[in-house]
Amino acid sequence: MMKLLTALLLGSFLLPICAKAEADTVVTIRLWHQLMYAHRDVQAEALREFERHNPGIRVESLYRDTESLRSSFQSAAQVGGGPELIYGPSDQVGPLSTMGLLAPLDDLYSADEFKDFDPLSLVKRHGHLYMVGDNVGNHLSLLYNKKLVANPPRTTEELFAQGRAYKNGFYLVWPMQEPFFFVPWVGGFGESFVGPNTEPRLNTPAMKQALAFIRQLKDSGFVPKEADYETANALFKEGKSAMIINGDWSWGDYKKAKLDFGVTRLPLISSTGKWPSPLVSTKGYSMNVNIKPEKLEATRKLLRFLLSEPVQVQFSQAVSTLPSRLSARNSEEVRKDPLLLATASVMEVGTPMPVDPELRAIWDTLRTQYQAVLGGSVSPEQGAENAQAEAIKQIRIMNEITQPDAQASVVKLIALIALVLLAFYIFKKAPLVMRDMMGPQRLAYGFLMPALLTVGLVIVFPFIYNLVISFSNLSLRTFQDWQITGFQNYTAVLMDPQFYTILWKTVLWTAVNIFFHLSLGVFLAILIDQTLPAKPLLRTLLIIPWAVPQYISALTWRGMFNQEFGAINQVLRDYLMMEPVQWLSKPFEAFSACVLTNVWLGFPFMMMVALGGLQSIPKELYEAARVDGANAWQRFWRITWPLLQPVLIPATVLGGIWTFNNLNVVWLVSNGGEPADQTHILVSYVYKSAFDLYRYGHSAALSMVIFGLLLIATLFYLRVQRRYLTKGLK
Amino acid sequence: MKKSASLIVLILFSIFAIFPVWYILAVSFRGDNAFQVVSWALWHEGSSLDNYRTLFTSTLFPIWLRNSVLVSLAVTIIGLAVSATAAYSLSRFRTRGQGMMMVALLATQMFPATMLLLPFYILLAKLELANHFGGLLIIYTSTALPFCIWQMKSWFDTLPKELEEAALVDGCNRFQVFYRVVLPVSGPAMVITGLFQFTTAWCEYAIAAVVLQDPELYTLPVGLKSFQASMATEWGLYAAAAVLVSIPVVILFTILSRALISGLTLGSVKG
Repeated sequence: MMKLLTALLLGSFLLPICAKAEADTVVTIRLWHQLMYAHRDVQAEALREFERHNPGIRVESLYRDTESLRSSFQSAAQVGGGPELIYGPSDQVGPLSTMGLLAPLDDLYSADEFKDFDPLSLVKRHGHLYMVGDNVGNHLSLLYNKKLVANPPRTTEELFAQGRAYKNGFYLVWPMQEPFFFVPWVGGFGESFVGPNTEPRLNTPAMKQALAFIRQLKDSGFVPKEADYETANALFKEGKSAMIINGDWSWGDYKKAKLDFGVTRLPLISSTGKWPSPLVSTKGYSMNVNIKPEKLEATRKLLRFLLSEPVQVQFSQAVSTLPSRLSARNSEEVRKDPLLLATASVMEVGTPMPVDPELRAIWDTLRTQYQAVLGGSVSPEQGAENAQAEAIKQIRIMNEITQPDAQASVVKLIALIALVLLAFYIFKKAPLVMRDMMGPQRLAYGFLMPALLTVGLVIVFPFIYNLVISFSNLSLRTFQDWQITGFQNYTAVLMDPQFYTILWKTVLWTAVNIFFHLSLGVFLAILIDQTLPAKPLLRTLLIIPWAVPQYISALTWRGMFNQEFGAINQVLRDYLMMEPVQWLSKPFEAFSACVLTNVWLGFPFMMMVALGGLQSIPKELYEAARVDGANAWQRFWRITWPLLQPVLIPATVLGGIWTFNNLNVVWLVSNGGEPADQTHILVSYVYKSAFDLYRYGHSAALSMVIFGLLLIATLFYLRVQRRYLTKGLK
Repeated sequence: MKKSASLIVLILFSIFAIFPVWYILAVSFRGDNAFQVVSWALWHEGSSLDNYRTLFTSTLFPIWLRNSVLVSLAVTIIGLAVSATAAYSLSRFRTRGQGMMMVALLATQMFPATMLLLPFYILLAKLELANHFGGLLIIYTSTALPFCIWQMKSWFDTLPKELEEAALVDGCNRFQVFYRVVLPVSGPAMVITGLFQFTTAWCEYAIAAVVLQDPELYTLPVGLKSFQASMATEWGLYAAAAVLVSIPVVILFTILSRALISGLTLGSVKG
C-alpha cells in the first residue's frame, strides 16, 4: 500500500517534467491575463483558431487577478523570466514600464494602421508605446431596472425628487466606500481630481462640492445606509433597488441573471449644468522585456491576431465590449448592440484614466479622506485639504531615491565583521559537531538533519535577501539598479508616529484574539471530552470553521456585519431588542468585527490542540483530587491547566505570531483597512508599503522590525513559562 | 444536569460555527451569482445544483482536486516523518545548539509572509522547481515544521521514560524504541500535527499562486481564485467549490479524531 502510494506520488511529480520536454519542438507563448470569467471562453475560442492556422505556435493562457498579475509578473520578470505577453488594465503600465519590465511596441504596426486604433487604447509613457488595447471602456454608468423605473433621472434634481417619491425599496445603490465610484461626480462639479501630468488636484472647490453632494445623497433616505460592491450588486439583482451605478463589466452578469435593465449617463449636476465624468480606460496587451529573440516573431504574430478586427468583433458580440479599432466599431454586428450605443454616449463625457504610478498614491489618500467624510468624522473642506496634502506627501515618498552615504560603509563593514565572526565560529565548532555526529549520539543528529536541512534551505535565503534589501533603496525608481544605502529605512520606520499607533493596535489585536482562542478552545475541549450523546457530530461541527477556505468565510462574515441586511444586526434587533450596530463604518466596531471573525476562524484549532493535550493527563489524578475533596474549579486550575501547558505553550506562541502577522482577516473583513485606514495592523502596513507604494526597502525594514519585536516577545514569554516546559509530566 | 448544560453550550457553539457556512451553501445553490444576499433561505426560486455540475463538467476542478490531494498527502507524510524524528531527538537527547534550534524554529514563523514570496520564487526558480509540485512540497513542509516539531516534542516530553528504558534493557536499539514503543502511543500528537500539515497544504494560496503557473498544476485554492476577479466574481461557482473543498478536511478529521480521543494512549504505559 505504502509503496503504491509512493510510486503514485513520485509519478505525478515527474509528469510535468516529461510534458515540458515534448513541448520544445514548437514555440510556446505564455499569456497571462486578468479576463473575467465570461470573457475567458471568448479568448479560448480565439486562441484555438490561432493555433489551428499556426501549427508551429502554442499559446498557454493563464488567468491571474489584477493584483497578482502585476506582482507575479514583476517577480518573474525581475529574475529574467515571465510570460511573453500580459493582458490587463492600462494602469499596470505605469509601474511596470517604470521598473523597465516592458518592451516597447512602437513598431508593431505601420503608422497608418495605428490610426485605426482609438488613441485611448495606445498607452504611451516617455515617448514609447507599452500597451495596445483591444477594447476601451471600464466606465461607470447608471443602470436602471426597467420593471421598476420607467424614466431614469436626467438631472440630480430629478434624482432627488424621484428618489423621495419611490416607495418600493431603495431607489439607488452603489459601492459607497469606493473612490472610483465617487470621482465621476467631481468632474461634474467642474474639475477633474487629477491633472494632465497625474498631479493630484484634490483640494478644489469641485472636490468639496462633490464631497458635500455625496454626503447629501447618502443621507437622502432612498439609498442604503452602507453598501459595498457585493451588497449593492445583490440588492439590484434582487429588485430591492431600482437603480445601481456600476461599470460596463457588470452588464454581462446582469444579462445572464435575466434582468431587464437600461444603461444611461449618471444624472447631470443641476447646479453646474455639467455631466459627471466617469474614468475611461483601456485593457490591452504588453510585452515582456525578457522576451527571447526566437519567440519575438511568433509573439508579434499572436499580438496582431488578438488585436485584429475579427477577434475584437467576436469579443464585442459575446460580451459587449467596445472595440479599440475604429474599423471594428463600424462593423454591423457592433453597431446594432444597444448597450454599445449607451457606451458611446457615456464615453463622450468620460475622462481618460491616467496610467502613471502616481495615481495609486492619489487613490490611496483620496480613499482614506473620502471615507472619513462619508462617515461624518471629517468635513468636506477638511477632507479635501487633508487628501491633497497627504497625496503630495505619498507621491514624494514613492518617488524618493535615497542616495548612499557614510552609513552604507558602516553597514558593509558590520556585514563583513559578522561574516568573519560566523566563519570563525563555524571553523571552531564544526569539528566538535562532526565528532558528536559520529559518536553515540549519532541517532539524535541523524533525526535532526532532515528537519534542519529543509527549514534551513527554505528560510535562510529569503531572510538574508530581506535583510540586504532592508538596507537598500530598492523602490519603484531604482528597481533595476538599487544600492546599499544605510539605515535610512529603519530610521524612517521608527520615526513614523503612525508606526507606534499601529503597533499598539496590533498588540491589542493579538492579545484579544489569543485570549478568546485559548479560553474558548480549552473550554470547549473540556466540555467535549466527557461522555455525551452525539459527541462525534458536535466535534465535527465545531471544527468546520477550520475547514472552510478562509477567503470566502471572511467575506461571508463581512456580509453578515452589514448594518441593515447583515444577519448579526438582525439577530441583535429581533431577538435581543438592541439597536443595530454600524459594524463596518466605525473604527472600533470594525475592529471588533475583525476580532469576532478571527475568533471564529481560530478557536477550532486551539480546541483540537487542547483536546489532544487532555489525552495525556492520567485520569487517576482527577480521582485522587476528588478523594481529597477538590471541586471542579480547583481540579481545573491545579491539574488540567498546568498539565495542558506543554502543548498549549507552543500553540499559544505560534498562534500569537500568526495572529500578529495575519493579513487576510483584517484585509478582507475591513476591505483593506476601512473605514479610513483605521483598522490596519502592522502587516497590512507592510503590504501597503510594498504593493501600493513600491517601497520594497522600506517594507523589508518594517518586516525586520516586526521580526525583531516578535523574537523578543517570544524569548521573554518562553523564559516566563520555562518551568512548565522543562518540567513536563514526571 | 451538568451534562445537559454542557450539551446546550456545545450546541450553541456549533450553531455559531456553522452559521456562516449556511450562507455559503445558500450562495452555492443560487443561479443569479449574488453574494452577501439579504435573505436567510437556503433554497430560493431559481436555486439548483447547477454550480456543482458546472464545476465537474466544465472547469478544471477535478484536476485541482487531484493535485491538492497529492500535494497535501505528500506534505503530511513527509512532514510527519521529519517532525516526529526531529522532535524525538530534541526531547530525548542533549545535542549541540538545541535551545537555539527550538527558538530558531519559532523564529522562522515571525517574518511577514508577504515579503517572503519574492525570495521564495527566486529560490525555486534557481533550483528549477518553479511551476513544479516539488517546490511546493519543500516550502509547505518546512513552513509547517516548526509547529509540528514543537507539538510533537511537547507530547514526547509528557511520555514517561521508564517504558523506553525497559525496552532498551530488553535489547531494543534506540531506533526500535522510537519506532516500536514511542510512536504507537503518540496517536493524538500525530493526528494533530498530521491534520495541521494537511490543512496547511490544502488551504495555502499565496505561495502556490506564485509557484504554479500552469492551470493543470493548480491546487484547489489557486484554482478557486480563478473564479474570483475584482468586482466580477463567479460567486456561485466559488461557493460551491468552497463547500466541496471543506468536505475532505471534515471527513479526515472525523476519521482521525477517533485516534485523537481514543483511550489507547497512556493507560497502557502507566500500568
